[in-house]
Amino acid sequence: MRNGWDDEELLAELRAAMRARRAVPSWFVETGKSAYAWHNIDAELAQLTYDSQTDADRVAAVRSENASIRALTFTSAHLSIELEVAGDSLLGQVIPPQAGTLEARTKTAVTTSPVDEAGFFALEPIPSSPFQLRFRATDGAYVMTGWITL
Amino acid sequence: MGLKASRPGLAGHDDPAAAALPTRAAAGDQGAWDEIVERYAPMVWSICTRFRLSDRELEDVAQNVWLQLVEQLAKPPEPAALAGWLAAATRRECRRVVTAARGPEPPGTHPDAVPAADDAVIGEEIITAERHAALRAALAELPAPCQPLIGMLVSDPPHSDAAISTALGIPAESIGPRLARCLERMRESSALLGLAEAGANRPGGDPGA
Repeated sequence: MRNGWDDEELLAELRAAMRARRAVPSWFVETGKSAYAWHNIDAELAQLTYDSQTDADRVAAVRSENASIRALTFTSAHLSIELEVAGDSLLGQVIPPQAGTLEARTKTAVTTSPVDEAGFFALEPIPSSPFQLRFRATDGAYVMTGWITL
Repeated sequence: MGLKASRPGLAGHDDPAAAALPTRAAAGDQGAWDEIVERYAPMVWSICTRFRLSDRELEDVAQNVWLQLVEQLAKPPEPAALAGWLAAATRRECRRVVTAARGPEPPGTHPDAVPAADDAVIGEEIITAERHAALRAALAELPAPCQPLIGMLVSDPPHSDAAISTALGIPAESIGPRLARCLERMRESSALLGLAEAGANRPGGDPGA
């Protein structure tokens, strides 16, 4: 049993394989390919570990006080970035507190904000398209988040 | 075949060219990365379609899934586990954007409850994706005269023998024998031999059939 497919079956499988490939829009594939631009950037990826909108338990716990405030936390091995939507601004804190520079990157623009010694920063206005944050601490630590859509 | 064949997601892992892709991408080879994306984007897409996402949400998912793999390249998943890793990351990201857009599930609902994306379904997606990726790789490996011939035969809808004869400048009666030779070469390709080793070269992907 060297091979399980006769000619007809092999053609049918090929047809299905090509159909599956054709179903994928080219922009979807390009998005994947362009992610490679991040390879070898010495930043650590901070994962989304808390989102007030999705974390049902936490939302239930705090619902009475501030259910309307959108809050997010990104965590890497060495630090966390906490974000809170406040009107037209995005307020944040780096934990443990440390100074540095924060970049908010959309696909087309980069805006830079200072982070003070208490780890606080403010982004204004909030990017309207998906964006990433990159934080470089004055001691050299470098962390980036995944794409954020608010 | 036994144990080896009974484990889903192993199909294709005996194809050395495919197995080398993560290492090559980790070493800085954008072409290898692009091949990984080409191989598995249909699976990522197929899983996403189960969640009824908008284009913007789909892009969000794609960016995060592939970014996470880029981040992992220093220590990538084993080649045989790559599809499973991507499938898990895709499902996780899809659930995240669904919940972000629609709000949390009502109390008492399992937070991961998307009936069309349970483990069995995702397991099937992985097996199918590996099989399809191996088939497309095998087609791409074929010598030049075979590619347009098979390409026209597997297009949607398939071309008639007369149309193929005209387009390729070959007698209609030679299509059958030529096709048989091309398919035979295809079976000899490392991509499909790897699939046979893994016991996944069965229509429907049932390794035990």
